[in-house]
Amino acid sequence: MKKTGPVVFGFLIGVLMLLHHFTPSSWIGDRYNNVLDWKQVVFGITLILGVISLFTYHWKKIERRAEGWGYSVITVAGLIFMIAVALIFTPERGPYPWMFDHVQAPMQATMFALLAFYVASASYRAFRARNFHAALLLTAGVIVMLGRVSLGELIGIDSVSTWILDFPNTAAKRGVMIGVGLGMTATAIKIITGIERTYLGKGA
Amino acid sequence: MTTEARPSKTDAARPRRPLHDWLANVDRRVIFIAVAVATALPLIFPLNLPIKTSREARAYYDEIERLQPGDEMIFVFDYEPDLMAELDPMSIATLRHAFRKDIQVIALTDYPGGPGIAERILGEVAAEYGKTHGTDYVFLGYNPDYSATMLRMGESIQATFPTDHYHTPSSELPLLQEADRYAEVELLATVTGSALAEYWVIFAGGSYGQRIIAGNTAIQAVLIYPYFQTGQLSGFLGGLKGAAEYEKLIGTEGAGLRGMDAQSMAHLLIVCFIILGNIGFVLQRRYQRRLEREQDGGAKREQGDGVKR
Amino acid sequence: MVIWDHIGMWVAAVLTIAIFSLLYRDNPFYRAAEHLLVGVSAGYYVINYFYASVIRKFAVPVFQQGDLWLLPGGILGLLILLRLSRRTQWVSRYAIAFYVAAWSGYLIPSVIQERILIQLQGTIPPQPGTVPWDAFLGAIIVLIGVISILIYFYFSAPHTGVLGRISQVGITFLMIGFGASFGYTVMGRVSLLIGRFQFLFQELPESLMNM
Repeated sequence: MKKTGPVVFGFLIGVLMLLHHFTPSSWIGDRYNNVLDWKQVVFGITLILGVISLFTYHWKKIERRAEGWGYSVITVAGLIFMIAVALIFTPERGPYPWMFDHVQAPMQATMFALLAFYVASASYRAFRARNFHAALLLTAGVIVMLGRVSLGELIGIDSVSTWILDFPNTAAKRGVMIGVGLGMTATAIKIITGIERTYLGKGA
Repeated sequence: MTTEARPSKTDAARPRRPLHDWLANVDRRVIFIAVAVATALPLIFPLNLPIKTSREARAYYDEIERLQPGDEMIFVFDYEPDLMAELDPMSIATLRHAFRKDIQVIALTDYPGGPGIAERILGEVAAEYGKTHGTDYVFLGYNPDYSATMLRMGESIQATFPTDHYHTPSSELPLLQEADRYAEVELLATVTGSALAEYWVIFAGGSYGQRIIAGNTAIQAVLIYPYFQTGQLSGFLGGLKGAAEYEKLIGTEGAGLRGMDAQSMAHLLIVCFIILGNIGFVLQRRYQRRLEREQDGGAKREQGDGVKR
Repeated sequence: MVIWDHIGMWVAAVLTIAIFSLLYRDNPFYRAAEHLLVGVSAGYYVINYFYASVIRKFAVPVFQQGDLWLLPGGILGLLILLRLSRRTQWVSRYAIAFYVAAWSGYLIPSVIQERILIQLQGTIPPQPGTVPWDAFLGAIIVLIGVISILIYFYFSAPHTGVLGRISQVGITFLMIGFGASFGYTVMGRVSLLIGRFQFLFQELPESLMNM
């Protein structure tokens, strides 16, 4: 019940989803659609569980007065405030969309914008032509970097950049893609047949 | 005041930092300031450098251009605020192009942070072209689980989204009465910062034969060239440059075109830093080899002296 | 522009600078902004998750439209919540097994078709003469690249002799591919910075002028 039950249940669901591709049966088609609908509900609730875990983590930190608990107060206050204003004013108007537009969006965007500085610093420090392959990587990187902007187009490097992207890059990405595709398929088969069950957690 | 208190610049006690050391170890804050200046200055004082349009961007443009007034298009805001700078210009330009051609748009998002972005952009562009929600376009909102959403939409959009984002039942939305599955929709455009363009190709394109175009972040764009080559993806935009190319094609200036000078300057600066770092690296390596040779020579001389003694 | 939008612009500007302050060093302003971002985002997301999954995909179809076929979805969702208690944690395995197995089931045919077969088909060069010579040459390069990379990833035999030399060609292609990825990564990150600077140096002064 605790170990084999979920694996058998998973097998039946997996086979049903797989069968849909090979049979025109409307009954299987309807159940396939049911599973897709249920899956969306399960996914949403799983994510809610994640937010509950985040809240519990920070709440415990505040209770214990652990190091940096003051910052946890900010997190918890932000979370509760957003839920409260969504319930009071509805998510379509009032402080909820305002907070998204003027607090969350600019901060999230800036957080990622920081990476421009770090990528520049890392390029300078780590991008060294130590051997043939490193030099190749560096050259391709520089050509693509310049070739994809106006400056590169002015000096005529854009055609080299396009050639790299169209042919050697396509080959590289396709090689990896096929490898990953084979890996995904093998893992999916192992999951359905119950060979792979680490995703169920300890003791499964 | 005595002269001894102030050491002169030629003070022998302070060894001069060798050039290779200086080149290979520029302080990170100097790099940060240089990046900030190189990016900010062209925004304040534009250079208006010309840009060329790529084949991929033209293919993206052509896919929308070939649609007829009244045709339906699904538009997916598959990103969150972290990537707004790169992807908002694409979304705005695509919707302008679509609304200008009187194409009906079914909008949605696969990201929980997407509704805020979608509402802002849809509101602005729809107002610009006098379009109304429900008949000219609909915003269905966020739906959890991207893969199940993509597959379920192939069977029924109304079943996938029982209501729109504003709680109106889908059965009451006139636009969804005309287009309820991929087979009834001419084109699907996704603007995404993740692998979702690939998944739209796999699930909507592969399982239901939906024509797909994608706006991508630069990082993601490089990964989807194979799908464009096979025709699984009918066209795509790559990064802010892709957005600028598309803005040029539809003849409206947006954040993409305005940002291109800054993009050029920042790239040039980073290339300069890479060259600088490599010159420093080569000089440092030569210096170390010379030092090793000198040490080896010294050790051999000492060994030789020892033998003589 | 209403007053709340102006206030919003300035709040956004202050928070943007607080985040940028990390470039100098880690500091309390950055930490506070970071934690505020986590809290506000989590609050924003949980409302969207709840509305999209519980209300729209469960309550509306089941209670308003009477579609009882969606009831099991709600039950499986409740099973997930049993993870919160150690005693009932094992029950949530059913929901996890359901989710992962369903995903695996529909993934297999789609991935084999779209990521493997069509990609392999696209690797076969066209007949000479049917396309321009440069496109044909490019197709040959793609063919050599894909085969050599697949051989590089083949670990069931030692990479020596012919296999070793071919896998070296594979590495060469991979390095060019990684270089292209690097170039585009720089491009992407710079674009994000441009977005923030456009806000600080263009939108913010405009907001000030319109006040």
